[in-house]
Amino acid sequence: MEKIMEVKNLEKTFGNNKVLNNVSFDVYRGEVLCILGPNGAGKTTTINILTAALNSNSGEVLFNSKPISKNLRGYKQLLGIVPQDIALYEELTAERNLRFFASLYGLHGNSLDSAVDGALEFSGLSDRRHDKVKTFSGGMKRRLNIACAIAHHPQIVIMDEPTVGIDPQSRNHILNSIKKLQSNGMTVIYTTHYMEEVESISSRIIIMDHGNIIAEGTKESLKESVENEKHYTIKIDSADSIEPTDFLKIIGVKSSQIADDTIKITSDKNIENLDQIIALITKHGSKIININSETASLEMVFLKLTGRKLRD
Amino acid sequence: MQRFFVILKMDLANLFKNLIIISYNTIFIILLIVIMGFLFGGNYAHIEDAYKYFTVTFIIYAILSGAMTASNCFMERDIKKPNLRIIYSPAGSFSIYFSKLLASFIFDYIFHTIVLVGACLFLHVSINNLPLFILSMAPVEFMSVSFGIFFCCVFHNEEATSTLLSTIVSILSALGGTFFSLDGMGKAMAFISYISPVKWLNIAFFRLAFDNNLSYILPTFVISILISVALIIGCRFTFKPEDYL
Repeated sequence: MEKIMEVKNLEKTFGNNKVLNNVSFDVYRGEVLCILGPNGAGKTTTINILTAALNSNSGEVLFNSKPISKNLRGYKQLLGIVPQDIALYEELTAERNLRFFASLYGLHGNSLDSAVDGALEFSGLSDRRHDKVKTFSGGMKRRLNIACAIAHHPQIVIMDEPTVGIDPQSRNHILNSIKKLQSNGMTVIYTTHYMEEVESISSRIIIMDHGNIIAEGTKESLKESVENEKHYTIKIDSADSIEPTDFLKIIGVKSSQIADDTIKITSDKNIENLDQIIALITKHGSKIININSETASLEMVFLKLTGRKLRD
Repeated sequence: MQRFFVILKMDLANLFKNLIIISYNTIFIILLIVIMGFLFGGNYAHIEDAYKYFTVTFIIYAILSGAMTASNCFMERDIKKPNLRIIYSPAGSFSIYFSKLLASFIFDYIFHTIVLVGACLFLHVSINNLPLFILSMAPVEFMSVSFGIFFCCVFHNEEATSTLLSTIVSILSALGGTFFSLDGMGKAMAFISYISPVKWLNIAFFRLAFDNNLSYILPTFVISILISVALIIGCRFTFKPEDYL
């Protein structure tokens, strides 16, 4: 895949606090790159440097193989940004907001008209185009916030937690819209706390903590990297005749628990032993009602990598 | 340049929709002139003379208070967030603060001119060479809004800027004789009064308005422009886009 952006050795310090420590990653054309991390991980600082609103202490950002500082105006022209806060004129209509922000990118005349129409349609706000933003719900404002960032058809869109505090319908609309942007060839960099959003839209994921990138890859590869165990939950009709220690004799089984006719077994991921577990249960005359095999979720990956300790 | 005018147009539209700012720059000033003129007229002077005095001093007070219009235009809560998008756009940071500066200047200049002309028409204030008086207001107005924008760049906050500047403007105006002249209160008070730049502005505009004397206006013009340029250069160094983040 073609690289659209290369981030090299970014470092940023605020006072004595080093918030980015040698952060490097690439962004590929047409992908949705999700940046995950707990509060204070350095996500927003990274995003702010990518938007050129904040300077790094060292390192550089290349866009289409050229440093963004060499052609800042050209870079900004091809960039769309959805800030974390809703950045709209509340007293103006949706259309007037879009017109104003799109015209900052040099659009005028027919191209401006069609850009505004397209963005309104994209955000599902065509029928509310003449209404003032202050009359909109939180979800509608968020949708317009995104529409203002993509009206000028940027090559790359950076979204910083664009779905904070909205209803499921608007979130669903936004996530579908991002998939649509991707299918139209747009590259998206997306930060969020919501794992289900990452599951839904990401092509690739970067996990940050304490100013460092601690993991990078597709959701499948990340899950695989932390998954060295598998968990079986087996519901049986009666567990009276089975002892938990019986399962420990099977190769690969690390632990087992029995409660309320449900057996929970943790086994080595690389050893196939389900058939032996089933055989042991049936040997004891019990009937299997249900078997559930749990794989690692993105949330498990995230918590395993960043820890469960509460952050400020 | 097209982007700059797009932003300027938006800033002007935002200001002209702001009834509080419009009232502050018109009704408030008219009320000050009328009330103070009425109170001081009769007992101490002819009412026409009182209106003359307070029209000049309060127009200058309004011009200096234009710094607050600028700080509101620049960093008012509802405007600060959309400004973030302008920072992200290819328009550049100069367009942000300079468009606010120019919009505040145009807005204040229009309304202060209306107040002045209104006072001449309805309070029978006769000002010699009214067009030159109005023209002379421009550089002072520009300097005043430049102060507002510069302090916003320094403090990154409308409230801090407005509080500081309104306090300074009020103190300097009181010392400069805006509300009543300190010249008759003894040598010490008269000396203190002359420390205030507002006193010199009042003298310059009084001499222009009533004596046709231009001797103080040219220095006022030049000094105001020089200070404005220095403040705009200062904005280039103090305006940091990250303060919006």
